[in-house]
Amino acid sequence: MEYVNPLTGFRVDGRRPNEMRQLKGEVGVVARADGSAMFEMGNTRVIAAVYGPREVQIKGQQVSSEEALVRCEYRMADFSTGDRRRKPKGDRRSTEISLVIRQTMEASILTHLMPRSQIDIFVQVLQADGGTRAACINAATLALADAGIPMRDIVTSCSAGYLCSTPLLDLNYIEDSAGGPDVTVGILAKMDKVTLLQMDAKLPMDTFETVMELAIEGCKAIAKYIREVLLENTKRLECQRCLRPDFVSGHFLQQTYMYRAIFVEIKAYKAAFGSED
Amino acid sequence: MVGLSEGEKHFIRGGIAQDLRADGRRRLQFRAMSVETGVIPQANGSARVRLGSTEVIASVKAELGKPSILHPDKGKVSIFVDCSPTAAPMFEGRGSEDLSAELSVALQRCLLGGKSGAGAAIDLSSLIVVDGKVCWDLYIDGLVVSSDGNLLDALAAAIKVALSDTGIPRVNVSLSAATDEEPEVDVSDDEFLQFDTSSVPVIVTLTKVGKHYIVDATSEEESQMSSAVSVSVNRHRQICGLTKRGGAGLDASVIFDMISVAKHVSQQFMSVLDSDIAAAEEAE
Repeated sequence: MEYVNPLTGFRVDGRRPNEMRQLKGEVGVVARADGSAMFEMGNTRVIAAVYGPREVQIKGQQVSSEEALVRCEYRMADFSTGDRRRKPKGDRRSTEISLVIRQTMEASILTHLMPRSQIDIFVQVLQADGGTRAACINAATLALADAGIPMRDIVTSCSAGYLCSTPLLDLNYIEDSAGGPDVTVGILAKMDKVTLLQMDAKLPMDTFETVMELAIEGCKAIAKYIREVLLENTKRLECQRCLRPDFVSGHFLQQTYMYRAIFVEIKAYKAAFGSED
Repeated sequence: MVGLSEGEKHFIRGGIAQDLRADGRRRLQFRAMSVETGVIPQANGSARVRLGSTEVIASVKAELGKPSILHPDKGKVSIFVDCSPTAAPMFEGRGSEDLSAELSVALQRCLLGGKSGAGAAIDLSSLIVVDGKVCWDLYIDGLVVSSDGNLLDALAAAIKVALSDTGIPRVNVSLSAATDEEPEVDVSDDEFLQFDTSSVPVIVTLTKVGKHYIVDATSEEESQMSSAVSVSVNRHRQICGLTKRGGAGLDASVIFDMISVAKHVSQQFMSVLDSDIAAAEEAE
């Protein structure tokens, strides 16, 4: 099968070899989590939620009393793949990806600032179309930022591959399952350091370099987008604070007192003016 | 887990007794609902329903299969629910299995009827392609993304919306002369058949807190419940299924009272849902 059209140079989904799929990031999608985000790369869509920093739930898991414990769970929805298959929870692939995400995020979180506490990162894949690993890391970064957890830098991730003697950025499911190499890179965007590097299949040394360069370029583009999303979110929050100061810090009881006060006023009004409804 | 102080618990109970709940609602008032269809492009039908901070996604996938020997004239429908750990940290690992199983069974009871398929909300005989040979298997998956109480009602509403969004591909069957041969099935890519979802019920859960009962409880309110009755009611005001949860016993007369209230509330809920479905389909 031709993954890159030899005449036009376009890929199966109409992209150029060094073109990324459309990105979409949204912060605060899970109301009750401390931080949450949705991240889309084309048809791949994941949700990440962060709970913490909070007290260590199972004391035995606490490794060091100097640093926060970071935990991660990756889960795929039953309907996320093309053909529906019910997988048992905690299969080896999920366990491996959970571990990869945990290690990558741990490298960026300032764990020494939150000793004796625990941070949980949960990622849920809603749609899988290649590059779920990368999308999960990007979503986790956004969610951690939303939760206000101190981080060294923004971690972003992107995949790249090599098919039909062309390096391709951000593989979709068809390209991913073509059997070629799949290089997933995660970087600390500002410090310009690689924190995650994975590749399957074989690739000549010099080609690997160009493919990895391409993936790093992709990571940087994602970092730029994530910064925009976070800036936009911060502006929105600031705007909200100006508009309704009582709701930002308001405990739900405070709001209720307000509702109840209005209710009592309406009752008094009805009693005074004898309105029936 | 919901951590509440004594004062907060008292406040919630007191508010319910005075018909003014912690978020300003009356006892029989639902939270604001938002409905979106077509959220999972890979599925035949899908929907996202938000009730306050509760968010669920339902997807319907249709696959060709073989009807069971006992019911050669009926298709198969199965419902699975999964609670994502994004909704609460306690759903991590195997922590969600109990709740997922409870919700799945409750939904199956309300939507699929008995084992024989009698009384099912979905007309199972409409899923048949060739009698005894080929039928559609419907897989309904629910996913709880964010949980703030009343998951069952939200899931049932999401499934109802997802089913009305579902298009089953039209199939052409070429029957060969030999009867025991596998029939050839040609699945159309661009012609879809819509489902008749008018008889799919909604579920209304009445949660009893103190002497009174409320609809659409938040998780704070659910933590104060003594028992809850989930009633599924269809458009013709018929009861399709009933589940009681919670340890405390209920007087039979109270249950009858609750059912009649649930019937009344469900009709309002269904009309709100119908207008939301129409709006969501227009927006798509």
